[in-house]
Amino acid sequence: MEFFRYTKSIYGGQEQMVGASWDLLPLFVAAAMAFIVLHVIVMAFAKARARRPH
Amino acid sequence: MTERSTDGFTNATDPSGRVIRHRLVDRLYHWLMALAVLVLMGTSFVPILGFKFQWLEIHWITGVLLAVLVVFHVVRSVVWQNWRNMVIGTADIRDIWREARHTISGGGAPPTRPGKYDSLQKLYHLAVAILVLAVIASGLLMLLKIDTPLWRRDPYWFSADAWGVIYAVHGLAAMAMVTILVIHIYFALRPDNWRFTRSMFRGWISRKEYSDHHDAERWKA
Repeated sequence: MEFFRYTKSIYGGQEQMVGASWDLLPLFVAAAMAFIVLHVIVMAFAKARARRPH
Repeated sequence: MTERSTDGFTNATDPSGRVIRHRLVDRLYHWLMALAVLVLMGTSFVPILGFKFQWLEIHWITGVLLAVLVVFHVVRSVVWQNWRNMVIGTADIRDIWREARHTISGGGAPPTRPGKYDSLQKLYHLAVAILVLAVIASGLLMLLKIDTPLWRRDPYWFSADAWGVIYAVHGLAAMAMVTILVIHIYFALRPDNWRFTRSMFRGWISRKEYSDHHDAERWKA
């Protein structure tokens, strides 16, 4: 997976970066989902522990 | 003599005993910013996903409007509000650590009661501020590449390499905004945060919510 988009100049030569790779977009969405799932699990775990008699 | 609240206003409690958290102008700013961000995301990511339409004009005009909104917010925060309410201090860093430890292990001291905004809200605001300023700064520079009724394009301000960096910053910050937005909506929908969500619609939290969840010394409402 590329992190950046590249293009070749019309005059040839080396590749030039032209921006971020849009292939990363699903990763940013997945990061948000992963955070939410993790938070839900941690909060449920904390809630269950708080209910347990000491 | 009326005491000035830490929110920068006098009389932050309305006659019904509710504590004013967000004034109408601030709620309008929040929702206009939300609308602008959604339009900007729609006009950038939807074409990338394959639904092609004439997105550029809507995108840059909305981007300029977002920049104007942010300038308004910064001026209002600095001149009319207490911007220190949103600054992360050493007490906030300590509270983030305590919150994490208390939530995960159940041990240690609980975090102290916050002022108007808790430590994680301040951290979130910092992340949003960095990302929004990055997309606005890079976006304003990218306006040099298009003709508009107000100016002619002049793409020779920067080298091709510099343009690549500007476009990369714009794209990465925009994609990170998706992460931040999804997390924001998640927290807004959590029942334990409904008082914050309600206050962003109606402006207030109850006196009980204020005394239960906030330190009156740190947020003099």
